[in-house]
Amino acid sequence: MLEVDMATRELRSITGKHAPLDQIAKGLNFSEGPAWNSQTGEFFYTDIVGNAIWKWKEGEGHHVVMKPSRFANGLTFDKVGRLLVAGWGGRTVWRVELDGSHTTLVSRYRGMKLNSPNDIVVRSDGLVYFTDSFGALCNVGMGFEDVQRYMDFAGVFSVTPDGKRLRLVIPNMVYPNGLCFSPDEGLLYVNDSRLGLINVYSVRDDGTVGKGRVFYTAVGNESGIPDGMKCDVEGNVYCTGPGGIHIIAPNGKLLGRLRIPDHTTNIGWGDKGWHSLYITTYHGVYRTRLRTAGIPVGSGFR
Amino acid sequence: MNWKFERIAGPYDGPLGGLAWDGAGMLFSDIMNSTIYRFDPKDKGVRIWRKHTNRTNGIAFGENKVLYGCQEGSRRVVRYESDGSTTLTTQVMRDGHVHNHPCAVTVDRRGRVWCCDPYNELATWGPQLFGKLEHASVLRLSQDPAPQRRTWVIDRMTFDTTNPRGLALSPDERILYVSENNIVEDGCRELRAYGILPDGTLAKPLVMCTFGKDVRGAQRGIEGICVAADGNVLGCGGWKRNGPGPLIYVFSPKGAIIGTHEIPGDLPVQCAFGDAGLDALYVTTGDGFLFRARRTGLRGGRKTDR
Repeated sequence: MLEVDMATRELRSITGKHAPLDQIAKGLNFSEGPAWNSQTGEFFYTDIVGNAIWKWKEGEGHHVVMKPSRFANGLTFDKVGRLLVAGWGGRTVWRVELDGSHTTLVSRYRGMKLNSPNDIVVRSDGLVYFTDSFGALCNVGMGFEDVQRYMDFAGVFSVTPDGKRLRLVIPNMVYPNGLCFSPDEGLLYVNDSRLGLINVYSVRDDGTVGKGRVFYTAVGNESGIPDGMKCDVEGNVYCTGPGGIHIIAPNGKLLGRLRIPDHTTNIGWGDKGWHSLYITTYHGVYRTRLRTAGIPVGSGFR
Repeated sequence: MNWKFERIAGPYDGPLGGLAWDGAGMLFSDIMNSTIYRFDPKDKGVRIWRKHTNRTNGIAFGENKVLYGCQEGSRRVVRYESDGSTTLTTQVMRDGHVHNHPCAVTVDRRGRVWCCDPYNELATWGPQLFGKLEHASVLRLSQDPAPQRRTWVIDRMTFDTTNPRGLALSPDERILYVSENNIVEDGCRELRAYGILPDGTLAKPLVMCTFGKDVRGAQRGIEGICVAADGNVLGCGGWKRNGPGPLIYVFSPKGAIIGTHEIPGDLPVQCAFGDAGLDALYVTTGDGFLFRARRTGLRGGRKTDR
């Protein structure tokens, strides 16, 4: 059973009275990258310290997709159904083509190696956004080959699907981590783990964003920080934080928290109708099912 | 002989740590600001040598101008390569556990990397996924000699330390000097000399100097060590709080105190020889200074003591 706290009435309309909480995977060491492939019915996730990308299918169990994974972190799918990877320890953003080959989209900005791409999202026109925090360069057990940080800033980048046009969209964050669009893609939410808050930016058609403002500051003293983040179809923002997952209305008001029994790292929508929420934690993967649907990943491969 | 220490740099807003002479300039670590600086004696300029060093403390040159650094903020010994990149050794013991927070390092002629691996009250960056070891020891990192492997392995060298803070090898590399510096009332504070046995393990140590306690509490023992070409051992020890104060001690190889030299700052951390004749002694302090005494009458010995 899923437990909640700080709950408003609106939260109950999201969770219902008896939402389940099932553990799908355990024994992992910093699980991340939850991403549902609606074409195959497979759920993808990473084990960062375990240096692997995994997939899981109901009734079929877990299978290694890639190991070693160069300490891959965030995952998503694009419209075509290709897996996109925030490369983290490997310091690149790369894609698995439909034939299984790998394409590196970006590895450097103005000649400098990226910090360590953390999480990733695709706009419906195919433009790829990713956060570039520096954690893999200093966290224990996540470094790989070159751990020197070259850029004095950490920001959010966009890159075209052909990898040719890389743009620094948000230049001035301390530790950018999770990111997601509002349902109409008019807003981009980006959280900052060090500052413990979520910023919101208006998004222009050309992919650039406005100045931005603080949207929400995480509450609670439990284990957990703003990390993974996704929106539902109503525009509510779901963000990891102290105690589990914080659900925030579009006006910035906390609707309540989903309590998860392990330090929560990221979340991803999936299953039929996109009503399930897959939850990665330090040591496992959980799943709940909600009344509200999430925004389809890769626009549901329409 | 009285040494006159001059202030070279500082105060920085935090402790300075490791020192390494690159042949023409002295590198020193600004631990909390994650920066390694380089002092050039020719123009007396201090310039950034490397940024984003994850709280690197101890540093020492190895082969091919590689600088080994103890990243206290990341619990690892890294290689600062001459092309500007930073590569890894390993932070995993043979039993699969991650070691503690290496703080001081030296490199022997065979390219093996010796480090002190104490606990550190400051957590590493990022998630705390790995517990600390049940011991705080001197470790030795070495690379598998097979050319197609070259993987790093760690050997635990001491089994009798609780807070090793400094280390250095004798000029013939037959003795490992270690400062055990556990600054609590019942803690052990000794400068020790471990013979290195033919099988590569360490003999039971000889104690060269012991530090006590008084009504003002435990005295601060030796932190950083370096060895002069003549085999004399230099230790950075003491503080203003009690005892004889912050000093550079010069010990004979047998442990006789040949001399002590007051330094103007507090909490001396590391010392190393530098300058053209290798006869200047540089000292970093916990209150953020780099000092230098010229014409010490001693000379730097092994490469990693400069």
